[in-house]
Amino acid sequence: MIRIEHLVKSFGDLEVLKDISTEVPTGQVVAIIGPSGSGKSTLLRCINLLEIPTAGHVFIDGMDITSPKCDILKVRQNIGMVFQHFNLFPHKTVIENLTYAPIKVRGLSKADASKLGLDLLAKVGLSEKANEYPSRLSGGQKQRVAIARALAMEPDIMLFDEPTSALDPEMVKEVLDVMKALANTGITMAIVTHEMGFAREVADRILFLDGGYLVEDAPPEVFFSSPKSDRAQQFLEKVL
Amino acid sequence: MNLDFSQILPSLPFILKGILVTLQFTLLSAILGFTLGTLLSLLKISNLKPLRWFAEFYTSIFRGTPLILQLALMYFATPQLTGYKITPIEAGVITFALNSAAYSSETIRAGIMAVDKGQREASMSLGVPYKLMMLDIILPQAFKNILPALVNESIALLKDSALVSTIGVLDLMRRAQVVAGQTFLYFEPLIVVGVIYYIMVMGLTQAAQVLERRMRRSD
Repeated sequence: MIRIEHLVKSFGDLEVLKDISTEVPTGQVVAIIGPSGSGKSTLLRCINLLEIPTAGHVFIDGMDITSPKCDILKVRQNIGMVFQHFNLFPHKTVIENLTYAPIKVRGLSKADASKLGLDLLAKVGLSEKANEYPSRLSGGQKQRVAIARALAMEPDIMLFDEPTSALDPEMVKEVLDVMKALANTGITMAIVTHEMGFAREVADRILFLDGGYLVEDAPPEVFFSSPKSDRAQQFLEKVL
Repeated sequence: MNLDFSQILPSLPFILKGILVTLQFTLLSAILGFTLGTLLSLLKISNLKPLRWFAEFYTSIFRGTPLILQLALMYFATPQLTGYKITPIEAGVITFALNSAAYSSETIRAGIMAVDKGQREASMSLGVPYKLMMLDIILPQAFKNILPALVNESIALLKDSALVSTIGVLDLMRRAQVVAGQTFLYFEPLIVVGVIYYIMVMGLTQAAQVLERRMRRSD
């Protein structure tokens, strides 16, 4: 479970997140949407402390990860993250990308990590690419490997930061399909996305951010059919 | 003008032994220098200002004074200062390693900065500790990018190693001078070691190209 309390994040004078409070119960899939510059990615990145909040608290399973006493490396092992630009390790093969952290961080044996890695590659439909380097893969394949890499840590929470924004249109679906399948496994997911159709179909809840405020928090059927705020109405008119 | 290489032929084995001395000296200085340079580069990107200041001050000293002066100081001043009778080869390796560390730390720092910050974020998000992240993820990519610059630095080290002849290390250069002194022939021995230096540098360049090709495998 993720709980966010009065979260504020500033970059210098610029306040990007303004007093955000919300909660994501275990197993829920939330889509975070909003115009660019609204603070969506920053909010997501505060959940695993890739950005350090200026004020407020983030709790993961009841533990305050913003507290100095918290071992953030330990917490991050339990929170997978998928990036817009994949960020695969280019000097490692696909299977090495998947097994590196499980071996070095979780302490799995090489054999166990390989088995887990190959299982995950099969799940994302890329078994035959195990020994390729990432540079030989298409964007969609890279992103599926990146998802598998995050899953190899067997996290309880997955964060997705615009996972399809850097992809060619015809590759978006293969990635969304993998994410859909994942959403049905009961893992907690937070997804920053511009794919409205996907958000509507997969998310249990929509968080709409604008100008650093959490403007709307509603189930997708409510949010997409009858948004309460003017800002959300304007936004939906433009993107739908 | 007449050149007579046959006169120095008996001294050839003596000169050739210098190859090993020069190579050993260069290799040792390069390994120590790049290791130290890597550590310095990590200080330079540290969040702690005093560490950055130290690394920058260190670099400025070694870049701001002549290498031959550093060498002379290390060799002649160490016994006076500490009472330890430093050997020429020790003084040479230490000086060259310290000096090369200053130069290579800048190159390595630039190489680290050039690695996409997404690599760091991906490592962090997987819970990889800083030390492992640097060793396994960031530095291998940084070194791949700066390999040509490091080869240049190694070539400079190899050629500059001739400076240790001034403190009496029997390297290639010194041996040429010894032979010249014995035979009163200067041109021939100097030409011979000149050719040897050239061949060694070419060999190093070739080896680097092979290494670079191997490292580009993943592209």
